[in-house]
Amino acid sequence: MNRAIGRVGTAVIALMLVLVGMLTYLQVIHADDLANDPRNVRAALKDINLPRGPIVTTDGEVVARSVPVDDGTEFDYQREYPHGNLYPQVVGYQSFVLGSTGVERTYNDHLVGRDPALRLEGIGDVFSGQEAVGTVVLSLDHQLQEIARDALGDQRGSVVALDPTTGEILAMYSNPTYDPSGLAGHDTKQINQVYKFLSALPDKPDLSRAYRERYAPGSTFKTVTASVALETGLATPETPYPEIRSLDLPLTDAELSNFGGQSCGGTLAVSFRRSCNTTFGQIGLDLAEAFVAGAAAFGIGDVPPIDLVPEAALSIGPRAGTFQDEQPQFALAGIGQGPVSTTPLQMALIAAGIANGGVIMEPHVVKEIRDADGDVVRTIPVREWKTAISPVTAQAVGAMMVSVVEDGTGTAAQISGVTVAGKTGTAQTDTGDPHAWFVAFAPAEAPTIAIAVLVEHGGSFGSEATGGRVAAPIAAAVMRAHLGR
Amino acid sequence: MKSRRNVELRLGLLAVGITGLGYVLVQLPEKSDIPADLWFFVTIFVGLYVLAHMAVLQFAPNADPSLLPLAAMLNGIGFVTISRLDPDLARTQVGWMAAGMAAFFGTLVVVRRIRTLERYRYTFLLLGLLALLLPLAPGIGKTINGARLWVGIGPINFQPGEAAKVLLVIFFAAYLVDKRELLSSGSRRLGRLVLPSVKHLGPLLLAWAVSILVMVMQKDLGSSLLFFAVFGAMLYAATERAAYLITALVLFVGGATIAHRLFDHVQDRVTTWLDPWPVAADEGFQVVQSWFAFGTGGFSGTGLGRGNPQLIPNAPTDFVFSAIGEELGLIGAVAVIAAILMFVGSGFRIALEAERPFPKLFAAGLTVIMGVQTFVIIGGVTRVIPLTGVTLPFISYGGSSLVANFVVLGLLLRISDDNARARGLVRRRTSAPTGATPS
Repeated sequence: MNRAIGRVGTAVIALMLVLVGMLTYLQVIHADDLANDPRNVRAALKDINLPRGPIVTTDGEVVARSVPVDDGTEFDYQREYPHGNLYPQVVGYQSFVLGSTGVERTYNDHLVGRDPALRLEGIGDVFSGQEAVGTVVLSLDHQLQEIARDALGDQRGSVVALDPTTGEILAMYSNPTYDPSGLAGHDTKQINQVYKFLSALPDKPDLSRAYRERYAPGSTFKTVTASVALETGLATPETPYPEIRSLDLPLTDAELSNFGGQSCGGTLAVSFRRSCNTTFGQIGLDLAEAFVAGAAAFGIGDVPPIDLVPEAALSIGPRAGTFQDEQPQFALAGIGQGPVSTTPLQMALIAAGIANGGVIMEPHVVKEIRDADGDVVRTIPVREWKTAISPVTAQAVGAMMVSVVEDGTGTAAQISGVTVAGKTGTAQTDTGDPHAWFVAFAPAEAPTIAIAVLVEHGGSFGSEATGGRVAAPIAAAVMRAHLGR
Repeated sequence: MKSRRNVELRLGLLAVGITGLGYVLVQLPEKSDIPADLWFFVTIFVGLYVLAHMAVLQFAPNADPSLLPLAAMLNGIGFVTISRLDPDLARTQVGWMAAGMAAFFGTLVVVRRIRTLERYRYTFLLLGLLALLLPLAPGIGKTINGARLWVGIGPINFQPGEAAKVLLVIFFAAYLVDKRELLSSGSRRLGRLVLPSVKHLGPLLLAWAVSILVMVMQKDLGSSLLFFAVFGAMLYAATERAAYLITALVLFVGGATIAHRLFDHVQDRVTTWLDPWPVAADEGFQVVQSWFAFGTGGFSGTGLGRGNPQLIPNAPTDFVFSAIGEELGLIGAVAVIAAILMFVGSGFRIALEAERPFPKLFAAGLTVIMGVQTFVIIGGVTRVIPLTGVTLPFISYGGSSLVANFVVLGLLLRISDDNARARGLVRRRTSAPTGATPS
């Protein structure tokens, strides 16, 4: 028996070594990821009783603040969100049960004064008894955020507006939304109830649609298709395309039709203004594999490095190496259907790239950190994210987008005295009425705002919706406010 | 052999010292002075340990010197962790420790010769099955946390299943020793496999099947897994035939597949094992929190009393090891595993030293329980295997398991003492010790 017992003993030792191996993985190799996971509330718990600075918009509106309380619990402060459901997808919440999200998480160290820059400034405060907490200043404009909300109304969708030259987000709102106050309380049971309730709602109000949900972008993606065609030398704005009703899709019996079954075509510039599916389907086929790299240059396939937790979803386009077998997918990608699926944030970044001479800046929602005296101690750096296209191509595509608003499908986005560049989209969905899209920037000569608007399933217009009718006026309202018109 | 007891005493005092220090550290972050009840608990702990030491000195003077101190240390670390998580539970646990020591004492006093147990194998089988079935009895059976494992009499709840483990291992050891010749020679051939006759294997399979069926009915998957492993290992140890190991494995895979098909709670466990993240707020909550605890603890831990192990559900019982991993880090967690490994190592050494087959197989079986139980629960909370609730020997909160562990400790010391005595007295005894030889 001894030999067998010896073997059993060896097996038990081996099992123990497996455990030690797993522990090494958890406690050394994977430890930081686990310790910093947003769902690991230990970090939030550590900070819950520290004084915490406010979060304010660029125009000085307080959107999150801590007030001292004595409610019989072990907690000394209550986090408040004075604007309720206007900012949760940006500001997030601080919850000792669920952990923190949004700016509350990414800028946690600044809010509690752990940032060395604040420490240095705060030395004097030790004597005056002031807390060395930081004030986080958003790049968002409260007025714009309110206009985005009001313009979207009770339609489901998203509005993302940013400064194309810096990547500063000016407004980011999506509906449905929720009030994070219910998650920031001091009662575990109640917080869990609210969280469960929110998660179970079919509308998913806790989903940050603006940067966490993907949709078919439809014709707004023709901005990318046209850009890649020009950038690769496949076409110029003057290249002619046939005036046809539909395009035969290779390898299948299917056809790609124009909107409303009309005959459509002309030069690339004219086709862009009229949003001809046949032209851009053909370009998708002609670009073939080059389309993949061209879209990737715009950030398709990459996570936009926005300063939020949870991070933004990546957008997807035509898949590399599939042209040979799946040519129709490239035609569909040319018109923003088929394999293409993008977040509203990504579409805003594409518009911003074209507005900014082909360079997409890193998007960020926070502008700067200030100390308790209001002095700026840290400015969020402005960095380039992608060089999508050359300035020449950007100029040409921008000009085509101007014609869309002047006398194309996007006339509803006109602003008197300002040249607006835009592109409409009406994206077919499997699940109902088409999504209405609009991407734009203004003023076209020296853009200060780029914007993407998405209205799910056509909003109040339903099956009658087009991007030009439903989404363009919302974009116009936000841009008008930004430009002071 | 006096030196063995001195080693035991000194190692034991070290274990008691570690426990006392740990207890102070756990209280410091909150109260910043030495806790008032420290002396009370440490005195009881020292007292219990000294009593146990004296019991060994009196009733098993030649036994292995490392087992008792290792048990004391594991028990001490467990006590410190529990008192950090829930002071009320810690007070109750002190009571259970006393009960465990009483059981330990009782085992050493009553079981003077390990071979006595061999004679009553069928009585133990009956008692074991009865203990397994008791929670299903109406009136006294109780369901706690979804598992019907409990018997409540008056204010005291206990799990007779913990006792059943020991009782059934006695039966299996005795039965296998008796029949091992027949089982290993076999009567039929199937290709290269030699099959024993159903007549000899029958009772074994029956006992096995009944115990597993009962545990599945009680939703106690951890114990099912444990029984499979222990009996498989014992069958293999007794016969030295790999065919039994393969058969046990096949039975296990078959049983697991059927259980997976039939029971939702088994499916839940497997799903959350494979990927708990999508259900991190619901079914996967426990395991995810456990991972967070380990990750936050990192290499050196947050320090006793400085982490947040109370965030892990069931931290004092099933997830006590995660709490240790958070506050004592990889260092503390591996130290606990090393201590259990040393305990298991001593157990196997005792089995190897035993000259007679029954104590040999019995010691091996008891040791495998300890080792596999450790693997099942630590593997569960670290996601090496699906989570099934069993206790971590000597560490988890819980009376039945602690009492059973101390009985196992007593039995191993008894066998170890017998071994030493047999070696020492071989020349003086001319005839075999009295008692019926196995039929």
